[in-house]
Amino acid sequence: MWEQVRQALIQSTLRFLTRFASMLPGLVALILAVLVSILLASILAFVVQQLLIRLRFGERLGQWGFSYPAESSTMRPALIVSRAVAGFVILVGFLIGITAFDAEWTSHLAQSALDYIPNIVGALLVFLAGSIIARYLARSVLIGAVNMNLQYARLLSVGVKWLVIVLALAMALEHLRIAPRVVELAFGILFGGIVFALALAVGLGSKDLVTKSLSGNAKKTTDEVIEDPLRHL
Amino acid sequence: MAVDSIPQQAQEEIEHIESADLVVGILADLDSKGIATLCEDLQTLAGSPRLAVLQNEKGGNATPADSETAEKRAFPFLVSWPLLQPDPAGAPVLNMFSAFQGVYAASDKLGARACCIVASKLENASPRWVCELAKPLLERNIDLVLPRYARHKLEGLMNCSIISPFMRSLYGKRIHNPMGPDVGVSQRLFRKMLGAQRYPRTNGMHPLASLVPAAVSENLQVCEVHVGARIYRPTDWTDISSQIAQVLGPVFLDIERNAVFWQRMRGSAPVPSIGEPVSVSQDTGTLEISRMIESFQLGDRDLQEIWGLVLPPRTLIELRKLSRLPAEQFHMPEDLWARIVYDFALAHRLRTISRDHLLKSMTPLYLAWIASYAQEVIKAGDLAVDETLERLSVAYESSKSYFVSRWRWPDRFNP
Repeated sequence: MWEQVRQALIQSTLRFLTRFASMLPGLVALILAVLVSILLASILAFVVQQLLIRLRFGERLGQWGFSYPAESSTMRPALIVSRAVAGFVILVGFLIGITAFDAEWTSHLAQSALDYIPNIVGALLVFLAGSIIARYLARSVLIGAVNMNLQYARLLSVGVKWLVIVLALAMALEHLRIAPRVVELAFGILFGGIVFALALAVGLGSKDLVTKSLSGNAKKTTDEVIEDPLRHL
Repeated sequence: MAVDSIPQQAQEEIEHIESADLVVGILADLDSKGIATLCEDLQTLAGSPRLAVLQNEKGGNATPADSETAEKRAFPFLVSWPLLQPDPAGAPVLNMFSAFQGVYAASDKLGARACCIVASKLENASPRWVCELAKPLLERNIDLVLPRYARHKLEGLMNCSIISPFMRSLYGKRIHNPMGPDVGVSQRLFRKMLGAQRYPRTNGMHPLASLVPAAVSENLQVCEVHVGARIYRPTDWTDISSQIAQVLGPVFLDIERNAVFWQRMRGSAPVPSIGEPVSVSQDTGTLEISRMIESFQLGDRDLQEIWGLVLPPRTLIELRKLSRLPAEQFHMPEDLWARIVYDFALAHRLRTISRDHLLKSMTPLYLAWIASYAQEVIKAGDLAVDETLERLSVAYESSKSYFVSRWRWPDRFNP
């Protein structure tokens, strides 16, 4: 009996060692891939950061209306972008490394991750475009409302900006396939709430103008304009 | 490209006319009696020049080409076509600029020695004021004749606050109405304007804004003619920011093209003036200044993030102090306003923000200047108007060095 126990132990140890030995090359490949990707990521991050600093990325972000990252310092936005690039390169290296394991589940995981990358890129592009459009529209609304002497110009502008950002965020999350039904519902409530708030603000703020129009005092307003002695052009 | 702006029927009629010495484009809303009077006056010009009158045909097609009718028609030749298209939404100024281009094209096609454009109705004007505009072109070889309108103190505000002093300081000529809109242009000048239209309108020369810069940079002859008081369109307060953008856009674009020239120009000189000044009543009526001050205060509160990209901190501080003044003490110094205009011109060149946003965000500042100016001239009396505007022009000239240095080294100061 003790001989059989000794044989069983030897065989299980041999199986474990064989299994471990078969995984070893994959493990070494993984470590190597990660180390190489860290090295590449460092170089790429440095190059990207220097390029963005020379292009005054932080200042341009401020001009485009992205004030928060640009407020910290000129380097900060460049640092964020370079670190994001570095993280991405390391992640790709890690995925390449784990496919070295000759196991179905690791290949499946890597494949799924790589298949998901276009969705991430698409979502980022949608959100970026939405942010740019939001800031442009907010600025247009702000200037237009100020020129029309609307006291709630800033509120209108912020409302429009967040409307567009919320829309872009919902579209980005749909791209990422993250809890689509929850996102759809939450978006509907939030979007509707913002529109309702804006409508109330505009409606209540313009109450007097609407009353005048309905009671026929708009004609009197027109007459006042004609009597204005100022002539510009 | 410019000939394409003339409808086919009008082109045929112009071909029947073959040639003309003087082309007069009528954009003003004159009735048939007014046009007939104008044609009669033009026939009295010395040398009996061959005349062609282009009439704005409202909402209709050009009159059909008919060679017999053209020959039998009483001299001068009359061609009708919709020079002024129905206003595109919010772009009446651009509409007029297209009409100018059409008149230049027709004048070139007819080989005219000069063309005049009548875009205004005048009050108290000599009945032959259009002839006065045309005479220097035909008799004295003047290349650009500009009107000098009898000025009411609260009229032509965009011109007297920005366009006239700005162009005076940059191009060194004291021209009271550099953008007309009534102008007389010689063949040399309108061909130069047409020849430069190889690029889309936003990048090429502008048919009205570029006239004075083109004439001055080429050392052409410029003069002014005293005419009556112009009848201006009533102010549409909802549209004023669009007007600012449409008028200043081409002016600021033009200074980019002529940067080498105006940076060398120092001081200014008057241009020859023809005729006697016409006086007008300076009654101001009821003026509501508080609305303009409120608009400025609202802009100072809400547009800081935009003005901060354009204006230096010193200017922002001065504007902040100005917004806190009570209405009776509200006064914008001339040098402050001059520097603001220069800063916006520079930001337009650098494309700091969208150009449309930039120019429209200038509206509260413009209204602040009007409020300050109106208070000053209403209190001080009629003679103070000329003094005030002269002080403003001098402020533009003395601040020019500030503009030149910021233009050459925009990074030296970065708001």
